[in-house]
Amino acid sequence: MRRWTVRTHLAGLVALAAVACARGEHASAAGPAVTDDAGRRVALAVPARRIVSLLPSFTEILFAIGAGHRLVGRTAWCDYPPAALAVPSVGDGIPPNVEAVAARRPDLVVLYRSGQNATAAEQLERLGIRTVLLDLNRLEELAPAARRLGVLTGRTAAGDSLARAMDSLVSQSPESPIPSPKSLVFLVWDNPPIVIGAGSYLDRLAGLAGARNVFHDIAAPSAQVSIETIAARNPDFIAVLSDTAAPPRYAGRPEWRVVPAVRKRRFLFLPGGLFGRPGPRAREAVRELRRRLETTP
Amino acid sequence: MKYVVLAGAALATLAAALLVGPANLPLADLPGSAIVWQLRLPRAVLAFLVGGALGVAGTSLQALVRNPLADPFLLGLSGGAGLGAVAAIALHLPGPWALPLAAFVGAVGAMALVYRLGLMGGAELDPRILLLGGVAAIALHLPGPWALPLAAFVGAVGAMALVYRLGLMGGAELDPRILLLGGVAVGAFAAAITTALVSLAQATELRNAFLWLWGGFSGASWTTVLVMLAYAPLPLGVLVASARPLDLLALGEEPAQYLGADVRRLKRVVYLAASLLTAAAVAVAGVIGFVGLVVPHLCRLVWGRLHRTLLPTAFLTGGILLAAADTLARTVVAPRELPVGIVTALLGVPVFAFLLRRWTVS
Repeated sequence: MRRWTVRTHLAGLVALAAVACARGEHASAAGPAVTDDAGRRVALAVPARRIVSLLPSFTEILFAIGAGHRLVGRTAWCDYPPAALAVPSVGDGIPPNVEAVAARRPDLVVLYRSGQNATAAEQLERLGIRTVLLDLNRLEELAPAARRLGVLTGRTAAGDSLARAMDSLVSQSPESPIPSPKSLVFLVWDNPPIVIGAGSYLDRLAGLAGARNVFHDIAAPSAQVSIETIAARNPDFIAVLSDTAAPPRYAGRPEWRVVPAVRKRRFLFLPGGLFGRPGPRAREAVRELRRRLETTP
Repeated sequence: MKYVVLAGAALATLAAALLVGPANLPLADLPGSAIVWQLRLPRAVLAFLVGGALGVAGTSLQALVRNPLADPFLLGLSGGAGLGAVAAIALHLPGPWALPLAAFVGAVGAMALVYRLGLMGGAELDPRILLLGGVAAIALHLPGPWALPLAAFVGAVGAMALVYRLGLMGGAELDPRILLLGGVAVGAFAAAITTALVSLAQATELRNAFLWLWGGFSGASWTTVLVMLAYAPLPLGVLVASARPLDLLALGEEPAQYLGADVRRLKRVVYLAASLLTAAAVAVAGVIGFVGLVVPHLCRLVWGRLHRTLLPTAFLTGGILLAAADTLARTVVAPRELPVGIVTALLGVPVFAFLLRRWTVS
């Protein structure tokens, strides 16, 4: 009995939300508008003032274009810049907790485009909250994301300038070729071994830093390979996303010691905050990777 | 004669596994290469042992529950092992032994639960457990967003029923039908806890635990071969020694009893041995389906129903199938690798269909 009452109330709320949503559509004629990567037209009456970002990369971009103070919600993973930590967290964002997001009363929610997030966006739209779904898997996708977030927040000039900086990074060739180019493998997981392939942000970073990803011939962003293949390709370095410099557990195991770089403990420990996500600090990441390639023995 | 053929095929498979690989070693370099000694050889041996263990476990379980669809993983072991492994990752247990050991503990825990379930209630089939098992099976095979909540629900109901029934338990007879159904239910329960752990934990590592659960031999080393060699011989010996009474069991429990088999003891011993064997296999290689289901049928079709022949041939056939499948998994899409379960199914199903057709026609 009680459950039914709750349901009726929920239905009423949804109906109200639908009305609110319809009103929003009418009022949005002159405000900022973009087309997102799901092909939806996102139009706002006025530039967004209360934003929830559901991806650390978006949080970084918003701060970089000077819209950070308008953030009213972020994910538990959004830890950069430090000012982001002052923004209330709405959970881990996988999948988004729609109620927690709605409770922040945002006028724009920025989501990474995925099946789960598209469903969440639909639910938010039904509550009258505008959403934008953006791709952000590769370096090339940073500029279009920055540009559109600039438009939606009324920071068009800042968004364009960040986008230009990202575009120039994409089109640049390695600054000065390293005397003897180093090769590396990005090892994401050890059992089964998962490595990063060409269709990824990290592969591109390695290229810009003057290093060669030994699995550049794999078109997918990541793939399962065998230890034998890694040993045969014999990379100079094993790059792992890790905030500490402790050698991974598998480094001491006999089957892994067949890989020369593991045996010689030639690990590059890349901090996850800087390397684990595409963001405005891509240039800094390239420089940092290059520095580590040159200084790690 | 058949043993000569099978042994020859086994040697050929192992030799092929040593000779080919994504590294393209020249023939002259093979004997001294670490790739051969530390990677290819332990991997081939492990695949062979796991395939053999699953073949034997499947054969004896199908004889025990007298059900052709019985499979080592239908008894809740994979669910238990998965839970153990995920818990190990969640708790950050260190060392190379932690994961297989936790998987083993999980599988044995699930086994003990199912065993207790199977012991209860005498020979009558409980319709409530039947229903529960059915729903659990559906939940496990449902795709998409419905599977997890349903499995979680069934898991919760299963736990309730389990506790309730365990409290009521009085009989001491191991009922094979309840064993099967209880296995499915306990498996779903363990899977529900696993899913809860993975979705609630912050560590992204846990997502990768699922990759491990799908099964494969990427982590093969002499250590894992040693784990398998430590656990497998005893249950294998017990099962081979039970070959004759298992033949009698095919006639039905009562006739077997009259013909001199200690049926009650036989059922317990066979169940425990087959479960231990499966648990060891899961602990070192994750859940590799299909081998334990189809290899017994394949051997029965070709070599007849006597377990004295069936058990050794199932060991060799299972070993050959899995070692060959793993060699293909490593090489056909190099530099990438296929999950071995896909290859076993692609390789085994056509062979099985062909044999089934040929034998049912004649």
